[in-house]
Amino acid sequence: MNPGTVNSGAEDPLGPQVRVLFAALRHAGEPAAAAITARVLCGEAGREQRGTRVRFMLRLVGDRLVEVRYRAYGCPYTLAACEWLAQQLESGGRDSIGGPAEWAQKLRIPPARLGRLLVVEDALRAALAAADKTMTDS
Amino acid sequence: MSSGAPVYLDYAATSPADPRVAAAMSECLTRDGVFGNPSSMHQHGRLARECVERARAQAAALIHVQPRQLVWTSGATESNNLAILGTARATAKRGRHLVTARTEHKSVLDPCHRLEHEGFQVTYLDTDHEGLIAPERVRAALRDDTVLVSIMHVNNEIGVLQDIAAIAAICQERAVPLHVDAAQSAGKVAVDVARLRCDLLSFTAHKLYGPKGIGALYFAPARRASLQPLMFGGGQERGLRSGTLAVHQIVGFGVACELAAAAWPTDAERCERLRARLWLGLQALDGVLLNGHATRRVAGILNVSFTGIEGESLLMGLSELSLSTGSACTSDNDEPSYVLRALGRDTELAQSSLRFSFGRYSCEEDIDVAIAAVTREVRRLRAVAP
Repeated sequence: MNPGTVNSGAEDPLGPQVRVLFAALRHAGEPAAAAITARVLCGEAGREQRGTRVRFMLRLVGDRLVEVRYRAYGCPYTLAACEWLAQQLESGGRDSIGGPAEWAQKLRIPPARLGRLLVVEDALRAALAAADKTMTDS
Repeated sequence: MSSGAPVYLDYAATSPADPRVAAAMSECLTRDGVFGNPSSMHQHGRLARECVERARAQAAALIHVQPRQLVWTSGATESNNLAILGTARATAKRGRHLVTARTEHKSVLDPCHRLEHEGFQVTYLDTDHEGLIAPERVRAALRDDTVLVSIMHVNNEIGVLQDIAAIAAICQERAVPLHVDAAQSAGKVAVDVARLRCDLLSFTAHKLYGPKGIGALYFAPARRASLQPLMFGGGQERGLRSGTLAVHQIVGFGVACELAAAAWPTDAERCERLRARLWLGLQALDGVLLNGHATRRVAGILNVSFTGIEGESLLMGLSELSLSTGSACTSDNDEPSYVLRALGRDTELAQSSLRFSFGRYSCEEDIDVAIAAVTREVRRLRAVAP
């Protein structure tokens, strides 16, 4: 075979939304060092061997979600979805995010990549569940 | 390269036609050119036939065979199909076993799979971890009912060069015909059929600065009776490949072969330097692994895996480059390269590979752009990873 071949022709295979998000992964990394004493809750899912691994980190001040960061290994759609979710969570809170089908629709992610988004969802839900538990415990 | 266009580093996928090829082709299309049907007996036809036979001589000279030992096809895929299906079906009464390698091109593997559906048995040889096939493995795989061995000269993904002459010697001992897919070697390295001692050899125009849609299959004189055609119709090409000959493509192929015969040593020397420059530049990154044997390889292909990197993200981040990855990421198929998996690379490393391939129009500036871009993206993606 000839391996998958890409060039930057007239039509970007990623689509404009994913391309912009993928090009600037501003929320990738760790929560701000100065804020490390605050509560940071993590959720993780996936394995590199399966092509996708995602970790979300949520920083809470009291009951308020103030910062979302992530680390991710995966395809451009995975990374773009992580970035988009981090932006959505910080600006609109957890009620604004919906589920993988909605993410795919909004970002025009091909249906074949839905499996990758399920890993993203698992990581995010795990982080949110950890946050819920912390708030309940406190 | 035009300003703003990506740097083209995918010559193993296809090459741009040499302007001299394009000029020769354009003379075979219009009313004032050689547009006739070479099967026609009138003057227009005879002129076209002359052009076709001149091109056949040019193509034959590239691989050092007689022109009458070539049949035109639509490209290496058809040549491989004709060699494999044509030989197996024609000699099925003698035996129904073939030998090939797991790292062959799909245009070899898929005809073999087709034959399995027709009741043939196929032995798929493993390579070593550098992509090479030990000739003794071929010997061990041969059976009394083996009717064909098919091994590629240069691997299209990793660029390694197989020892065809040694494999051919073993096949000759057992009187088993050897087919060689030379799509990536013809016009890139010395391809002398008398030295390779193969019975059938496929090559194509578009890998050596000719047009797409035209290729050829060499067959040893003794093999003609053992080749069953795949296409039937007008009986062209002595009944081996019916269909009106595409004169403009054939002429383009001929010119490309003639140019390649003169230029390949110089091209190869320059590509060797470019490959060394690229490899040196990439090694400044940690976790960079060469795929395939370090020295037994064609000059123009470098295949590299990057630890901790997902291949599709790497490729998509390199918008200033046109190149290929070991991950079939542009399809809906997430499977990593079967060639790299056959070398023993794990899924992660197989998915994180890039194939750089350069050619006649590549320059040092292209390589420097590639080094800078890959370095930037590898560092960015590693910084993002968990």
